[in-house]
Amino acid sequence: MPDKVRGINSGGRIDKDSEPSRALAPRRLAAIVAGDIAGYARLMEFDEEGTHVRVKRIQRDLIEPAIIEHYGRLVKTTGDGFIAIFDSPLEAVRCAIVIQQNMTGRNAVLTRNQAIEYRIGVNLGDVIIEEDDIYGDGVNVASRIEGIAEPGQVYISGGIYEQIKNKLVCGYESLGDRKVKNITDPVRVYRVLPDPTAFKSRRRRDTVLVVLISLTWLGIATAAVWYWFPRVKVQDVASAPTSPQLQSADANARQSAQSSKAAAVATPAAAARPQSPPASPAPADKQAALQMAPVTPQAAAVREPEMNMLRGGTFAMGSNEDITEKPVHHVTVKPFAMSKYPILVREWNQCAAAKACGFVATGNDEAPVTNVSWSDAKKFVTWLAGATHKPYRLPTEAEWEYAARGGTQTRFWWGEEFQPGMANCKNCTDVAVAEQPIKVGSLKANPFGLYDMGGGVDQWVEDCWHKNYQGAPSDGSAWMDGDCASHVIRSGSWRNDSRYVRPANRETYDDARYQTHGFRVALSP
Amino acid sequence: MKVALLMVLTAALACVPDALQAQGKAPAKDVLLYFVWPQNGSTIKGSFWCRFGLRNMGVTHAGDDFPNSGHHHLLIDVTEPLDVNEPIPADKNHIHFPAGQTEAHLELPPGKHTLQLVLGDARHYSFNPPVVSEKITITVK
Repeated sequence: MPDKVRGINSGGRIDKDSEPSRALAPRRLAAIVAGDIAGYARLMEFDEEGTHVRVKRIQRDLIEPAIIEHYGRLVKTTGDGFIAIFDSPLEAVRCAIVIQQNMTGRNAVLTRNQAIEYRIGVNLGDVIIEEDDIYGDGVNVASRIEGIAEPGQVYISGGIYEQIKNKLVCGYESLGDRKVKNITDPVRVYRVLPDPTAFKSRRRRDTVLVVLISLTWLGIATAAVWYWFPRVKVQDVASAPTSPQLQSADANARQSAQSSKAAAVATPAAAARPQSPPASPAPADKQAALQMAPVTPQAAAVREPEMNMLRGGTFAMGSNEDITEKPVHHVTVKPFAMSKYPILVREWNQCAAAKACGFVATGNDEAPVTNVSWSDAKKFVTWLAGATHKPYRLPTEAEWEYAARGGTQTRFWWGEEFQPGMANCKNCTDVAVAEQPIKVGSLKANPFGLYDMGGGVDQWVEDCWHKNYQGAPSDGSAWMDGDCASHVIRSGSWRNDSRYVRPANRETYDDARYQTHGFRVALSP
Repeated sequence: MKVALLMVLTAALACVPDALQAQGKAPAKDVLLYFVWPQNGSTIKGSFWCRFGLRNMGVTHAGDDFPNSGHHHLLIDVTEPLDVNEPIPADKNHIHFPAGQTEAHLELPPGKHTLQLVLGDARHYSFNPPVVSEKITITVK
């Protein structure tokens, strides 16, 4: 997407005359995109001329070129909004997402009173098209949907959803049938979720729903058992094995995680890794296949990263070595799984092949992927979560430090003093500084069986950047409020010196690509 | 004459690897990178806004490969020379502004500090010859 967005940035140069001319039929089926600015009156009140100039600039530099790029036509602009039509619902929604993502980028560097946020609604309808306006029910519905959208969001109607659901890879949250102003029939509305953080909250809501439904069913089942005891006995027996099976599967997973951890710890000075991942499918899969034999091999489509299950616990986060790491504070982290290595080039390219990640990574397949922005990393975890139906995510900053410390409280996980050969950093190993970090697993794992937690690649975490830990959460969750224009990176890279390898060290970077930045993934049980 | 031709040829050949790696792009001829604030030798109390000035070239996002543009990098207390064949490092002393920022809020510990701006291209390489500001020295009280 960023490539797209970037294209739009330069879109001001698109020659307007090159817009395909089209014969105007009186009636036509079209995807209608309606957008307007949330809180326009407030913005105008605050800074009339400034807002006007900014809005005009956005329309000229972003909205018009985005519409043209997606084969649409801008029908009209009002003071604070616009209406455009597209032949393709897919292009219409893509255009809407591009506009919203680009706006997020623009707003990142603005204050609250300058930030302009659009609400966008997309509907499919049969409309009457005239030279400089369109009419019809479909247009009204589009602007009503836009009216109920939250600022910065894209809402689409059921009609659009049906057309794009299997074609456009992003999340869709059903908001049910909504009654909209002056329209008799309720309209089915979906929220488009290009942003995976929204995906998470959706998952949670889904979980709650599932739990509620299962509770209801349980109630009904209990009542049924009570009424028709003898007849239901068979059914009861049939349903009984499912839950123990699940439990044992879970136990197996834990066992596998633990055993792999044990194996990693036991490996004497793991100069060469016991299993080299290149040729074989990810060893985690292999182990899972061995230990959970009855499980069907349907998950083989995507090779998942190897994950180590961590038990969680309380630890002292931070240090007194740098102002950004103060104050040292206690954090309790829930059990979670962390990927054993940073995400590899090979793993990244599965996402690129699925067209869900923005670029194809080059270099050694078994080296960590680099040149990844925070958004790129988020796209990867969203794709991985979707492809595996597991809630993969970026680790939180607290989880990262907990995992990096491996149960120790020393300056480095192996002690107070730096030791050469323990981490892939500048002047730390015999390997010369190169274009790419060395292959994962080349050095020792920490006590939690995790490799390259410090050195190798810088690793994005979920949290927004805060200049120190004043007010940081103590429950291990991601600290998201505040300056989200930049996020936290951990670990230090192969181009940083040994001070950056410390588990407490923290850095920050804007949401842009840089040669030393990669990431790992986490998974809640 | 022959010698001159040979020299030109050698020079051209020497340029080939650089061109292949697309590093060290040539900047605009009359480009000027400078600090709007603070001035060289100033004494500052507490934290301050550092403002970057750039003349005859444009500021853009990292990753945007528009001609004659780049983004700012602020070098704080850096003593080692700039390597035009490597990306500008990213660490506590090399602050990047990939979103196209033209100012930064700095909180430096009390004492003497040096500041220097370096313009980087889309991939964080410095131009060749590098576009750098004067290295200024300030005192934070």
